[in-house]
Amino acid sequence: MLLVSGKLANEKVTVDDSSPEGTARIHVVFDKGKLISREPASTIFFLGGG
Amino acid sequence: MKSERWSMLVLSVLFLCLSSTIAVSNQAPLRAQEQKVIDYLVKDWGEDYSVTSVDIAMKALKVDQSDESRFRIGSYIKSHPELHEVIRRWGWVTLVLTPDEKLIARALVNAERDGKSPPSLSELARAVAITEPDVKRGLAMLERYEILTKDGKAGGAGYRVIPRYIKWEPRLDFVFHNVSSDGGRQFSVN
Repeated sequence: MLLVSGKLANEKVTVDDSSPEGTARIHVVFDKGKLISREPASTIFFLGGG
Repeated sequence: MKSERWSMLVLSVLFLCLSSTIAVSNQAPLRAQEQKVIDYLVKDWGEDYSVTSVDIAMKALKVDQSDESRFRIGSYIKSHPELHEVIRRWGWVTLVLTPDEKLIARALVNAERDGKSPPSLSELARAVAITEPDVKRGLAMLERYEILTKDGKAGGAGYRVIPRYIKWEPRLDFVFHNVSSDGGRQFSVN
């Protein structure tokens, strides 16, 4: 939520993530709340909050 | 009989107190730069759901990083859960390990949990996409934190996972989500 409607919504933001289970790394870039790029290409992005 | 039990109880308490005093006094005092990292983290944790890790804080503060320095800061966090609710909620492991160390731990945990042979150094390097010397450094750090133990009979890289870390999913120990914005803010979330 920070990314799309919060204080980071007007910035370019890079997220470096661990995969849910394995040893792969995920690299995602957002610009002003929009998804710009993702590696690997098979990355599935869920947006939500709890 | 009753007085013997009391004596045993008193002796046990004294032993525990002595052990914890020795453990605390064994830790080298933090250097000024390292204390600065702790102060930064305590202020940062909880802000924007932050669970920022030591390496990210050192990067944000432009503090020279070495395994030794990270270990001193990490050990301090491990032994001081009273510093912040984030340590008590998420555990010290996710706060003190680097992404590489977390992925090395995952590779070993997953193999051991699934009953597969432990990965070798080269297999770990390939799995985590780092060099073999970096794998060795990561393994050494995980051993120092008592997440792994050296075992010549283990095969592979020669380490076993301490049993309490075999089932890591619910604890989020080996997870990282590092965020950096072009505004300069760097932090981790869980």
